Amino acid sequence: MDTINILLIEDNQEESDLLAAILKANDYNVVGIASTYKEALVLFYNNSVDVIIIDIYLQGKPDGVAFAETISIVPDALRPFVFLTSSKDREIFDRAKLTKPFSFLIKPYNELELLYALEMAVEKFYEQQNVLTGKTQNAVVSDKYLFIKKNKALKKVRTEDISYVEVEDRYCNIITENEKFVILISLTKILEVLDPVKFIRTHRNYIVNSNKIIEIVLSDNLVILQGNYNVTLSEKYKDLVSKFKILK
Amino acid sequence: MIKTKIGVILLLFFIPLFLFSQKHVQFDSLFNKQIKTKSEKFKEDLNFKKAHLFFVEKNWDSTLVYSGKQLNNAPNNELREYSLYFRGVSFKNKKLFKEAEKELNKISSDFEFYYKVRIKLGEIAVEQKQYNKALQYFQGILKETDKAVYDLKKSVILHNIGLCYLHLTKFDKAEEYLFRSADLQKAEKDTLLLIGSYMDIATLYYEQYKDQLAIPYFEKAYNLSKNVKSFELKQNSTMNMAVIEENRKNFAAALAYRKEYETWKDSLNDQNKVWAIADLEKKFAVKEKQKEVNILEAENKLKAAERNGFIISSVLLLLLLGGGIYLYKQKNKTSKIILEQKNELDILNAAKDKMFSIVSHDLRSSVNALKRSNTKLLENLESKNFAALDALLHQNSAITNETYNLLENLLNWALVQTKQVYFHQESLHLHSIVEQVQYNYTALAANKNISLENSVSIDEYVYADLDSLKIIIRNLIDNAIKFTNPNGFISIYSRHSDNENCCLVIEDSGIGMNALIRNSILNPAAIVSKKDKDEFVGTALGLQLCKSLIIKNEGQLEIESEENKGTKMIIILPQAK
Repeated sequence: MDTINILLIEDNQEESDLLAAILKANDYNVVGIASTYKEALVLFYNNSVDVIIIDIYLQGKPDGVAFAETISIVPDALRPFVFLTSSKDREIFDRAKLTKPFSFLIKPYNELELLYALEMAVEKFYEQQNVLTGKTQNAVVSDKYLFIKKNKALKKVRTEDISYVEVEDRYCNIITENEKFVILISLTKILEVLDPVKFIRTHRNYIVNSNKIIEIVLSDNLVILQGNYNVTLSEKYKDLVSKFKILK
Repeated sequence: MIKTKIGVILLLFFIPLFLFSQKHVQFDSLFNKQIKTKSEKFKEDLNFKKAHLFFVEKNWDSTLVYSGKQLNNAPNNELREYSLYFRGVSFKNKKLFKEAEKELNKISSDFEFYYKVRIKLGEIAVEQKQYNKALQYFQGILKETDKAVYDLKKSVILHNIGLCYLHLTKFDKAEEYLFRSADLQKAEKDTLLLIGSYMDIATLYYEQYKDQLAIPYFEKAYNLSKNVKSFELKQNSTMNMAVIEENRKNFAAALAYRKEYETWKDSLNDQNKVWAIADLEKKFAVKEKQKEVNILEAENKLKAAERNGFIISSVLLLLLLGGGIYLYKQKNKTSKIILEQKNELDILNAAKDKMFSIVSHDLRSSVNALKRSNTKLLENLESKNFAALDALLHQNSAITNETYNLLENLLNWALVQTKQVYFHQESLHLHSIVEQVQYNYTALAANKNISLENSVSIDEYVYADLDSLKIIIRNLIDNAIKFTNPNGFISIYSRHSDNENCCLVIEDSGIGMNALIRNSILNPAAIVSKKDKDEFVGTALGLQLCKSLIIKNEGQLEIESEENKGTKMIIILPQAK
């Protein structure tokens, strides 16, 4: 489980320091603080960024919106972002909201508002609204990452690190080589998002990452995975073998 | 001698022409009847009808025009021949003999009145001095007169033949035909024609210098002419007698005849003059009548125009009146509406002005308090009384917080009023929002030892604008803390009322309010001007702002309160779908 990487675009030192402090306190990783449009682009392309916090006005110019517009036309570059602004001036909002998905935070804000805005940005970006705040689910799932709300902070798990998923009641146990955690999500939902070539169902309750398979023991109905995990293979799903080239 | 001869020749010419024209008068009647029936038969052929009318009126030019049109337009064979006949006759009368001959020759021999055509052709031949040709036509007709009943006089044809022979100087033949003609006329007792014939016979003999034979006929003609009314005949016969007497050197008689001739000529002239005068008078009378008619017509037109003008103007006046009344009513209606709106606006404006004065007063007192507190702070700092500093700083912080909230409300209120605010309704997690707002008030509540609890259901999502929802909750929590005495409690919870709406309740154990204040808060133009507690001021603005924002989010505000027991502020908002 990794921390979320955040890029700050804010020209006011005091503001950005405060912002960075709050984020660090909540276990987010600030990868950089840009104060101009150019700096922002440099930092954005040289770092792995998960979420961006953008001040709409940089040195009195709406360069923050310009940045959002720039990355929204580059394919695959767009990330979830939050606009910071001190006024609800309709004119600039009308321009900013064209860069969808659009979430914003009005200054002054408190810690909870900031965290909520980040969560909203992620939810809106992956079009899975009302997920992190609800009772039935606490993770936003995409084909690359699982964003999991743990306590108050958001964490991410790379889907390729997952060894297997075990369903238990309304929860899913996500097992990686080193960790194991429980998220609140239904099996159907997780199957919808995960890549069906990589993730294979071996049992009513198990989904296995095919890259982690070491051995399939048909006689014992077992799949042996990296990290010394054994997963049950049921009769119904035995034809998964046909998906692999078998050396004889 | 030569002179007299010329006179005779002149006479010769005069007489045949005279005879021709007489023939027309006599025999056109039957033909006219015939064409009248034809034109009635072919009523739709307006051109033929017109041609016929003009033909009867002897208006040759117009006849030509309409018969030409008739020929071009309607290829009715029967009418075609009539039209050709009209054209032939018209051309002949206009002395365009070649054209006339051409038209008449186009008529087929089946034509009902073909003999008329031949007569015309014969007459044309005479006019063109082609006497042999004329003779052929006439003799042809003469043969046919025996077979059928024609409306023409054989004597005339005979006479014409005689004349042709006379012109051809075949005197014996001329003599024969003229006598046959004269005999016929004698039998028919046609004196007028008989006189002509006698004169022609006389001329015939005279031409041959058979004066002895000629003179009795001249005398006969002269005597007969005395009994007729035609001045022309009288004149001619007298003239002939005068010439004869002159040639016989009987000058006295010649002179007498000359004189008589003069008198006849005069009377003829007189008659002509009388006719001309009568004609003129008639024309004049007709003109007068026409004028009268014109005047009457003009008067009628004028009257009609006057009447029309009157009708039009009265209609216009009525319309104007109707329009005026309508506009007046409309204006009254709009001005009534405008007046109502003005009164409403006046009230709202007055409320706004009052609010501004209260807000500025409040701001001034806040800043003044801060100033005084700062002075005290400096004094204490100088006297190194550090124990007092802490309390003063806390007080300062509280004042600035309050002032900030007031300013925030003022700004938001202005933005809402001028509609400059960004407004976007979306699905919001009510518990999280309340939590976020509550976070800012934990310290304040703890200071007063008030428990502040958020027990909003985690399942509630409302459909609202994020920022305006925060402003509403902030103001209500702020008020609740203000009006709750220390050690009280504030509880925020949700009530799932129905499938459409969600109620957010902010309950406090505060001082509460009576019905009067409650109603005045809910009244749109309300200003709570109760100034017995400083804190009261400002609530007006905050609550007004809350109310307008709730309405903008399609929600409702309800208040349940009892004095000294507590208040429940209830916000009803639409649920997110």
